[in-house]
Amino acid sequence: MSVFGLALLALVALGLIGTGLPAFVVLIGVSILGAVVAMLSGSLPTELLSALPGRLVNLLESDLLQALPLYVLMGVLLDRLEVASAIFGTGMALMPRRFGAPLVCGLGLGAVMSPMNGSVGASVLSLARSVSPRLAARGVAPATRHAVIAVAATFGVVIPPSLVLILLGDAMLTAHTIAANLAHRSEQIINTQNVFRAALVPAALLVLLAMSIAVWIGWRQRNDSPGETPRDLLVPRQVALASISVVLLVALLGGVTAGYFYAVEAAAIGAFTLLVIGVACGQLRGAVLRRTLADVMATTGALFALLVAATTLTLVLRIYGTDRLVGEWIAALPGDDRAIAATVLAAIGVVAFVLDAFEIIFVVVPIVIPPLLVRVADAPWVAVLVLLALQTSFLLPPFGYALMMLRTALKETVPLRDVVRALAPFLVAQLAVLALVLTMPALVHLLDPPAALAADSAPLSDEEVNRRMNELLAPPEEGESK
Amino acid sequence: MNAWLERLDRALGRALDWGAWLVLPVVTLLFLQWPLRDLVHGYSREANDLGQWLFALYVAMAVTVATRAHTHLAADLIARGYSPRLRVTVARAGALIGIVPWALFVLYAGSRTIANSVAGFESFPDTFNPGYFLIKIAMGLLALLALVQALIDLLRPRVPA
Repeated sequence: MSVFGLALLALVALGLIGTGLPAFVVLIGVSILGAVVAMLSGSLPTELLSALPGRLVNLLESDLLQALPLYVLMGVLLDRLEVASAIFGTGMALMPRRFGAPLVCGLGLGAVMSPMNGSVGASVLSLARSVSPRLAARGVAPATRHAVIAVAATFGVVIPPSLVLILLGDAMLTAHTIAANLAHRSEQIINTQNVFRAALVPAALLVLLAMSIAVWIGWRQRNDSPGETPRDLLVPRQVALASISVVLLVALLGGVTAGYFYAVEAAAIGAFTLLVIGVACGQLRGAVLRRTLADVMATTGALFALLVAATTLTLVLRIYGTDRLVGEWIAALPGDDRAIAATVLAAIGVVAFVLDAFEIIFVVVPIVIPPLLVRVADAPWVAVLVLLALQTSFLLPPFGYALMMLRTALKETVPLRDVVRALAPFLVAQLAVLALVLTMPALVHLLDPPAALAADSAPLSDEEVNRRMNELLAPPEEGESK
Repeated sequence: MNAWLERLDRALGRALDWGAWLVLPVVTLLFLQWPLRDLVHGYSREANDLGQWLFALYVAMAVTVATRAHTHLAADLIARGYSPRLRVTVARAGALIGIVPWALFVLYAGSRTIANSVAGFESFPDTFNPGYFLIKIAMGLLALLALVQALIDLLRPRVPA
């Protein structure tokens, strides 16, 4: 019956594409079907279903999930307060007047804003509104606009402190704990900060590569420019808003990475600061404030509904033993760490054609990552590989989520072939970074604190583990208790 | 029947509109955690617990708000080509065979947990601050609101295509 669980996953994919129903409804509908079949079979542990209310309470009391409305609020406020336009305008005024400048500014804006937005979808909408008209005014071809905005919007998947990173950090913590217990390994369990640190260098590489490609595109298309393009002037209000936003992001990122505050607190500081700025500037009053709060609640609800539905489905899959089946398959994979990780990543990449990042984190990661971490001990490396695979999947034509969202947001028909051609160099860059991280795991450990490096490089012997356990269990000396 | 349904729909909408304001105290309390912990050296756990049950009530309502606002994530590239009549039928089928049984099960399976928690005014297990029972109530509220909304959508007369 374990295979039936995989059939349920396939049914989720079919249901999503075929019915057009919200993913939340499809996941719950398939869960109900699975539960009914399990009850009718009479041979499965359906009493596990009674754990569902408890699991929902776990979601509601999760400290980490409090970040959901905070990030969504930040995303909506960044849009309402026209921060994107301010950063883009200031960047354009400061950049040399080259044809590639708007593309570089658009990517830079994505690198700054996407981590603070609630989701890739929010980033796509915000960048489409603020950047696309400005790129069009400078003669950038529609396909190139699509490619640059889609790439910029997905930066939030890999640049800390994004919501995807926080949620993956939590999922990785659970997966790593299960794996360490299963493998009887004594090791430091990964946390959100580890994921942040690990993702920074690959993310920086990715942004630099993308910007280099933008400069190259600009150089190639310099002759297609429609002559004099409008020059952006430095507007004091825009400069102030852009400066505050960039400083805020750098401070939040630095504070979380250095351990001054937790990721949720960073999100709260960001959201609170933007809220105060909005109220102080008079831009968040009356109907505007009410509409802002309504938008935040509707988006938060959409994300939380996915969590609820994924929690239900994973419980049903557990009844079928699908997690154990996948575990056995991964345990039987031949090859070294890189080959095993590449195989699992490829599977995640295929799933990402139909599932969003949040669905993958909540449905797929709990099933495939624990057995992967039993085979591969480097959890931060695995986390970054998953992030890079997710980001790439958002951009893969024809169903890449960012591309689909962008087509809807821009409301302009661009032949898919042209978009693919414009996107190709960026996809090559992403695959290059993915391959680099896959072959050089040390890249994700460059920012590890020295103690962690020493601990990682010297695995504990059984004797050392016993010695440390004895130390922990030893009775306190007299005086220590006083 | 229709008038009764409309009144229920409007009452639900008004209640959920008020819920949207809860995000302001949630943001403020979670923001205050850091200065309370590192500068005041106190009350950060209280701020966290208060923020926690407000968050629970907020997201319990937010799921139904998302349903009413049609913001749930969906891959409807193919379904956009369906007739409006077919899309309404599919949506009703989703509510009938998905949301309604799910919500009923959560309410049934969680009723004892909620009742015991409320009867004992359950406190937070780590800090012993009051109000943990509100998180259990939020779990029931989430399912109840989803059920009511699904029933409203099922019973509402079909909009002519």
